[in-house]
Amino acid sequence: MQSANVLLKKIVRSSVLPFAAQHGMKKDLFPLSRTLSLSPCLKQDNSRSPSEKLDLDAWKKVMKSGLQEEVSETVSERKELSALAAAREILEMWRLAGRSVPENISEEQLKTFMDCPSKSAKKKYLKYLHLKELHKKNDKRKMEEKRERRLETVSKTDETRSKSFVCLWANCMDKAYSWRVAQSMIFGQPLVFDMSYEKDMSVREVANTVRQIVLSESCNRRSLDPFHIHFCNFKDDSLYHKEFIKHYKEAWGKLLITVTDQCYTDVFPKDKLIYLTADSPKVMKTFDHDKIYIVGSMVDKSIKTGVSLARAKRLGLETAALPLEKYLLWNAGAKNLTLDQMMHILLTLKDTGDWKAALEFVPKRKHYGFVSKPVHELKKTLNLINTLKLGKRQEEVRKQFAKNYSRKLTQK
Amino acid sequence: IEPPEKPLQAEEWNRLRESFGSPEIFEEVMFNNMVRCNSPIDVAKSLLTHVAQSNGDVAYNLLIKYLALCVQQGQTSEIHDVYDIMKIRFRILESGAYNLLIRGLSNSDQWRMALTLLEEVKKIMIPSRTNYECCIKAASCHQEMNLAFELYHEMLAKDLVPTLDVLQAFFDFSRGMKGAELQKELFGILLYLRENQIYPHKTFMRSIKLWFESIPGGNWRGHLTSIKDSGQCPVCNHQLEDSDLTEEEYNNLRERIIRDVIHGTDTFRKTSPQVGLAHCTGVKVFPVSLFLQLRKSLVLLCFLQLFDAVNCLAKENARLLVLGRKHMLVNSSNWKREIMKEMQNKADFFFAENISEDDAFLLYATLQSGKHCKFVTRDFLRDHKACLSDSLTRHLFRKWQRGHQISKKMFLSVFIQQPALRYDCVIQTTGDTWHIPYKDTFEEKYSYRVPRKWLCIQQK
Repeated sequence: MQSANVLLKKIVRSSVLPFAAQHGMKKDLFPLSRTLSLSPCLKQDNSRSPSEKLDLDAWKKVMKSGLQEEVSETVSERKELSALAAAREILEMWRLAGRSVPENISEEQLKTFMDCPSKSAKKKYLKYLHLKELHKKNDKRKMEEKRERRLETVSKTDETRSKSFVCLWANCMDKAYSWRVAQSMIFGQPLVFDMSYEKDMSVREVANTVRQIVLSESCNRRSLDPFHIHFCNFKDDSLYHKEFIKHYKEAWGKLLITVTDQCYTDVFPKDKLIYLTADSPKVMKTFDHDKIYIVGSMVDKSIKTGVSLARAKRLGLETAALPLEKYLLWNAGAKNLTLDQMMHILLTLKDTGDWKAALEFVPKRKHYGFVSKPVHELKKTLNLINTLKLGKRQEEVRKQFAKNYSRKLTQK
Repeated sequence: IEPPEKPLQAEEWNRLRESFGSPEIFEEVMFNNMVRCNSPIDVAKSLLTHVAQSNGDVAYNLLIKYLALCVQQGQTSEIHDVYDIMKIRFRILESGAYNLLIRGLSNSDQWRMALTLLEEVKKIMIPSRTNYECCIKAASCHQEMNLAFELYHEMLAKDLVPTLDVLQAFFDFSRGMKGAELQKELFGILLYLRENQIYPHKTFMRSIKLWFESIPGGNWRGHLTSIKDSGQCPVCNHQLEDSDLTEEEYNNLRERIIRDVIHGTDTFRKTSPQVGLAHCTGVKVFPVSLFLQLRKSLVLLCFLQLFDAVNCLAKENARLLVLGRKHMLVNSSNWKREIMKEMQNKADFFFAENISEDDAFLLYATLQSGKHCKFVTRDFLRDHKACLSDSLTRHLFRKWQRGHQISKKMFLSVFIQQPALRYDCVIQTTGDTWHIPYKDTFEEKYSYRVPRKWLCIQQK
């Protein structure tokens, strides 16, 4: 700020001084001035001769003049504007006004935009599209940079050999993974995804769910001892189905998982099922290799507490929650984890039975770290802190209580 | 960077721009600062001229910012010029520009122009409530009350919520005006406040009072007062409406609560139906008049409180039902079995599953027992209120809660009963009297607190 001021003064001095001196000489504006100090000079700045004065409204002329031809064009076009085109124009104006609006918007997105029920919903949707566009652009730029770099390096080395080797290797790995999963489909432990939450979710949430399931399926495929994945309550032509096809394309038919529209209670014996839900009052102690765990495939952005617990209660199933409190010092965020995190945790538990290793997959931002001491000791210290904090007040309450109580006794 | 105090020449702007860290956003940052510092408009003009001369064009966002500066300083002719330029340059304008234009013009003598702009906005989107507010204020300021009310009704029809400011403007500007129609409209506003359980603040209350007293030939007199606990107004000895719901409202509320709150989308979410059923039949057996409820937090304190509360209420010969969870039956340091036994002699107990929500039972049991039944909890039951689907039922719920919930103040004393209000705290009229509760300050901190101060207006 200050440097700018100094600079400003410098500019004024350097530009005005010679000019003022010149005119002063001619028009006798400064009879005394051969030794001008800065401050009168600044004052003089405004009272220059009118011909030299800034034309403050010059910009209006510029704006009005340059566009006469265009105006005539736009007037003729203006007659009929469909709702879509009008929306598109508004978006364009918002973009010009500097709001976060995507540059390009497809017909479909425009329709979704217009169907948004409220102004804030519209704003949110636009922002989402805008960010998506930015990410896409960034990715594209990075890809191009990478390609250029690769072209440089490849030209130096022998390209054909390295390429075919990679190809072969990837192919082999794919085959090996497939063998493993095929094996698990016969002998492996089942893991059920409950696909009955479609009506509890928005379209975006369903899309996110499917994305998470795709991630979990891939990490299951890569693991040493995969689960046999079941999609239960899966309806054909549901939103889930459409999203899956969007992700897998033709591979959807070849996936090594079991998809059924039956409920898990029809497929498996009821006493073996355990529904995993963060709302469960029971905490999982160990991973049981004989049980069949159910994970609700639901992304719950608006925290609808107890939806999956209700489902388990209705069917009379056992429920369990991960022992997050027991092993982690929880910081912030909801206790429900994403499906792929869940899958990682379950796979690790299955392989090692080590809670600490498994709970490494809980996002770091959600907790402070692992609990080092036994929990009851920690709780004791917590209680101590609380009583220290509240100590005085509690004492007061107790006294007051005693007083009141005795008074009431004497009254009656 | 600080905006300069005087208009600068092109080369001076250039030099400033080069000295700025990121020259591409220099103009934007400069304009933002000008708006913030409320710089003279000439400086902004000189910058615009500089931009126009160097680029041959001024970007839309700069025009908007310049417009904001003009609106801030009330430069009507400039606002007009900018509007003309925008009209020529762009096919349509967006909401931000319209907001500024309407705000700027409604404060000037060309306020009718703002109305035409409002019409323009309507073609492309639903105008915001501030747009309406500016126009309404402008119209009522120029004594065009009919026009103002027309806009007001249009706004309500579009589900926009007017601010207290606008409502106050109606009262301010129609002071001393005659007309039965006008009077009816203003009474309509008061009824709107009543229906939505909105309380005016002190200055708004004063406007209402002054308006009433200024009605020619009306002979209205207003007094500030507070209502007695019995619900009688000390000024006019009028008995306020009681807080009981009508039979129809009560049945309606009960059905809605059972449907939306207890069953909700899924009965299993709050409880399980078997337990609910067992509970239903239980409730029908006891005609309970008072309910106690336990919260799981602050267990020890609560336990002492519970004991105290049960004793205290039992002495008043009330039928008690205490809702708890099964874990309370297990003898522990927090829940002593002997004391539980003693309490069970004085009150009926119901223990729900440990994982079901006891609030839902509380609501259900109280509603099933009838209109006379009250309940004790320090929970505000907000999450249950939120489950109700429409605002009308929510208002009924609030009213019922005000009349039937006995809350306790913690810490000061273990059990000071805060009695349920006997009268309904809402704007009310009998034709020749009005009673208007008001808030002391503009922003009352707690939404659950009802005002204790009233404005009593009576016709002599």
